[in-house]
Amino acid sequence: MSDRFDVIVVGGGHNGLTAAAVLARKGKRVCVVEREALTGGMARTVDYAPGARGPEIAHLLYNLSPAVAKELKLSLDTRDLPTIALSPDGRHVEIAGGDLRFADGTAHPEAGAFAALHRRLVTFAGVLGQLSDAPPPSLADGLANMASLRDLGGMAKLGLDVKRMGREDMREFLRVILSNAYDLILDDLSDGPVAGALAADAVRGGWSGPRGPGSVFTLLYRMGQGGGAHLPIGGMGAVSSALETAATQAGVTMRCGSGVASVTVEDDRVRGVTLVDGTVLEARAVLSSLGALATMRLAGPAHFDIEATRRLRKMRARGTVAKLNLVLSAAPDMPGLTEAQRAGRLIVAPSATHVETAFNAVKYGRASEAPVLEAVIPSLTDPSLCEGGKHVLSVVAQYAPFEPEGGWTDTARDALRDSIVTTLKPYMPDLETLIESSDLLTPDDIARRTGAPGGHWHHGELSLDQLLTVRPVNGMSRYAFGVEGFYLCGASAHPGGDVTGSPGRNAARKLLADGVPA
Amino acid sequence: MGAAQYDAIIVGAGHNGLTAGCYLAKAGLKTLIVEKNDWIGGAAVSRSLHDGWTYSNCSYVCSLLRREIVRDLDLPRFGLQVIPYEGGATFTRDGDYFAYHSDHNALNREIARHEPRDVDAYARFSQTVMRQCRFIRPFLLRRAPDPTSLHPRDLGELAYLVKQAHGLGPRELGETIRFWTMSIGDFLDEYFESDLIKAHLAGSGIIGTGLGVYSPGTAYVLLHHYMGDVDGSIGAWGFARGGMGSISKALAMAFEEAGGEIRTGSGLEQVKVRDGKVSGVALENGDEFDAPIVASNMDVKRTFLHHVDPGEVPEDFTRAVRRFKIRGSSAKLNIALDRMPEFPAAPKGAPFLRGDLHCSTSLGELERGYDDWKDGKWSAEPYFDMLIPSQIDPTMAPPGKHMMTVFVQYAPYDLEVDGTRSRANWTDAKRAELADCVYAKMEQAIPDIRQRIVHAEVRTPLDIEREVGLTEGNIFQGELTFDQLLFNRPVPGYSGYDTPVKGLYMVGSSSHPGGGVMAAPGANAAREILRQAGRSKAMPRFAA
Repeated sequence: MSDRFDVIVVGGGHNGLTAAAVLARKGKRVCVVEREALTGGMARTVDYAPGARGPEIAHLLYNLSPAVAKELKLSLDTRDLPTIALSPDGRHVEIAGGDLRFADGTAHPEAGAFAALHRRLVTFAGVLGQLSDAPPPSLADGLANMASLRDLGGMAKLGLDVKRMGREDMREFLRVILSNAYDLILDDLSDGPVAGALAADAVRGGWSGPRGPGSVFTLLYRMGQGGGAHLPIGGMGAVSSALETAATQAGVTMRCGSGVASVTVEDDRVRGVTLVDGTVLEARAVLSSLGALATMRLAGPAHFDIEATRRLRKMRARGTVAKLNLVLSAAPDMPGLTEAQRAGRLIVAPSATHVETAFNAVKYGRASEAPVLEAVIPSLTDPSLCEGGKHVLSVVAQYAPFEPEGGWTDTARDALRDSIVTTLKPYMPDLETLIESSDLLTPDDIARRTGAPGGHWHHGELSLDQLLTVRPVNGMSRYAFGVEGFYLCGASAHPGGDVTGSPGRNAARKLLADGVPA
Repeated sequence: MGAAQYDAIIVGAGHNGLTAGCYLAKAGLKTLIVEKNDWIGGAAVSRSLHDGWTYSNCSYVCSLLRREIVRDLDLPRFGLQVIPYEGGATFTRDGDYFAYHSDHNALNREIARHEPRDVDAYARFSQTVMRQCRFIRPFLLRRAPDPTSLHPRDLGELAYLVKQAHGLGPRELGETIRFWTMSIGDFLDEYFESDLIKAHLAGSGIIGTGLGVYSPGTAYVLLHHYMGDVDGSIGAWGFARGGMGSISKALAMAFEEAGGEIRTGSGLEQVKVRDGKVSGVALENGDEFDAPIVASNMDVKRTFLHHVDPGEVPEDFTRAVRRFKIRGSSAKLNIALDRMPEFPAAPKGAPFLRGDLHCSTSLGELERGYDDWKDGKWSAEPYFDMLIPSQIDPTMAPPGKHMMTVFVQYAPYDLEVDGTRSRANWTDAKRAELADCVYAKMEQAIPDIRQRIVHAEVRTPLDIEREVGLTEGNIFQGELTFDQLLFNRPVPGYSGYDTPVKGLYMVGSSSHPGGGVMAAPGANAAREILRQAGRSKAMPRFAA
């Protein structure tokens, strides 16, 4: 095996794999270096216990970029799940797209208002979504010359699409785009489980409550492909496997088990990488899907100006999500829900106000006492995951701090696990008796397992001051990363996190457009 | 019939109503201003509520008042004198303080005493803030463009905006995007190490808002408080000699000299509308006045939800007015002191005591105050902006005595008691409890504060609403959030001071550029009114 490549991709998460596949399909000799034995990063399927497999961190697919799927000819077997907004009074609500009804099938009094709100959000999200598949607009030469004609064309198309919405929608778009989800939701809906579910979707993964301005943007980000939740058969690992297959079929060399220790830079140009095990690989370009700060450190701060290093150090990435993976001896009883609903995306967020209150704790380094949950039992939809009647319950819990006061001691971990189980109990009365094993991942664990800065889902807050042209930081937004041949291709680059593949594809295309250095 | 006929009627003699009145009267319009209170000034008033003392009992310091307007209306000739104050301080629990000095070297020494690294940070911070101030100031006296409109005026204003933004250059443009969207907490965290210095600077980002220091958009609010000046010194604040009422008084004198007429003592009952056009006003006391132009200095909610027949306004507009956010979040204490209080931490007679004084020592403490407010309670550890103007302006208190103004953040409009939130919960007992909570915190700086108090006026958001007329007592006539700024203020499509009712205009802070005693909405609205009346030339063009 030769140790010389055109391009080395650091990190075999979905963005790294996407970038590698895109480059290899254009004839580049590409090597992906993944420090873990298994690729996939946050999108992996793992053994919870013998005979019980499930999604390790990310558990549902929302907005995989259609451009990525098309370009890499991915064929994914997924199931659409309804969203079930669980209500403390037992009047659970089923949400399927813009359709709202009580879980028992009866009509919901706010169905009309919800449908109208949902339609608007999907329209807005669709318009914004088109920004995801290209580098963000450049400010390089000021506004008069938006870097290139293509940029201007993209912006003009965005402007046109905004105009095409009609004057009323356009006005509403411009009003709400920088606003907060709490007011947006409660202007149209009463505060309850439906408002709570929307509010929870707006802030999932972020260091923000629904009252924080900017949470409408993150809600729209999540709804970029319509907002539906899809469960991949085989778990989220199936998505990564499909990407890895696309990469290897295009000729990418996969190298797992030893991470990159440093990127070699000579004369301000990338020359290759050195692995933790000492292996030296040569390449003319390096794409990193690590966090922005970690990426800078691979090359060394000496290669960046002081302003860039300061900005990268200050980029906010405070994870707020914990993951609880449970193995159950049988499917839990869920009174009031049908079979299909039990297999759905279960949301415990009794109200938008509740979500905001849950956020309070994490601001002061504590976990929410009554966390907001997104739970799914993938084995109900995909029986191949478990054997012997077992089931896996995968719970995303918010909010949990990255660095709690006093650290993540065993006591703190037990308290968090208990509060998650207690929060689920009203809806799954026999849950505790069914638990065979549990695995709690705090933001700190997620950071250590995946390298995500702060354990943050999006490798950096998706706040308005860290988006688009200023993502990851002002002056470094278009993937090229300080040194010639060095590129950022992970979620800390535009457009950001979630399993989209977009940062990876955009970065790869940017490298192709710039040309792999000679 | 037989109602007196005017060319224009302005409802509300607040500083914006008076400013608009001045310009209309100077343009030769026969203008009447009606005011519900027996006094004028709205929230810019000086009131004698205790013998010998004068309280600026709502707004209390002056900086944002646009100097173009001051000069143009020649307000100094009518007695307006703004005296700058220097410095300020935040006192800690352990008997220390951080003092802000306007002297550069003194400030650097003080910063270094707390955190040497922050000296350099402060230089970078103030440079950024000043740049942003310079960027935004030209927009204050312009109409916000409507981006959905293809009207040449809107395109022209948009082009101006793009040109200004382009002029910033790529780095600063990126910084501007960030600055406008960041929280003041995150912004300060990027620069400073010292919690105390951060807390001292953060207050300006939350004053008057329903947002916390970690809510995105609060960096802009800071700017809103920094973009003023006193005599051309950017970011400086001062006292209006004789209290904030002096501003209203000077404006009223200018208005009357130009031939305007003011009637106090009866509020608006209804804006009269005929065939979709305004025809005059009917007052609570039964008086009626006719005019083809009526301008409301009240906020957009009060105007349209209480004083205009809903049948005259499109339903969409009313819905937009209903959802306009005007949240009460501040209380005010006006205190008569028997002598200058002792600040044991500070050197005797320290000049910084003449400035704004605080006792909140960390961003976390400020954010917790916001969390309390979200729960319908006043902050257990409130942030306050406390000044003793009588040190500089002896007209505010009898010789040897002093007057103190304390702006308190946060206090809710609907107070939560026993699980129910209602403004009815603001009893005298609760008012006293709030004051007690503020005094307890104040003891951090002034241990004997309770012994010094001769008289105190405690004003909850509800009190401010009742007296001044501001919905929920919100000092800005509407939250300063992205969804309510520029072309979105107060209602998308109606950011040009006009309304769906022909001849009815909005001249208050509900309109661009928003609150603060700036007088910009009043002047901008007057320009629009005169333009639509075909008298554009009567309005001066302010140099940008």
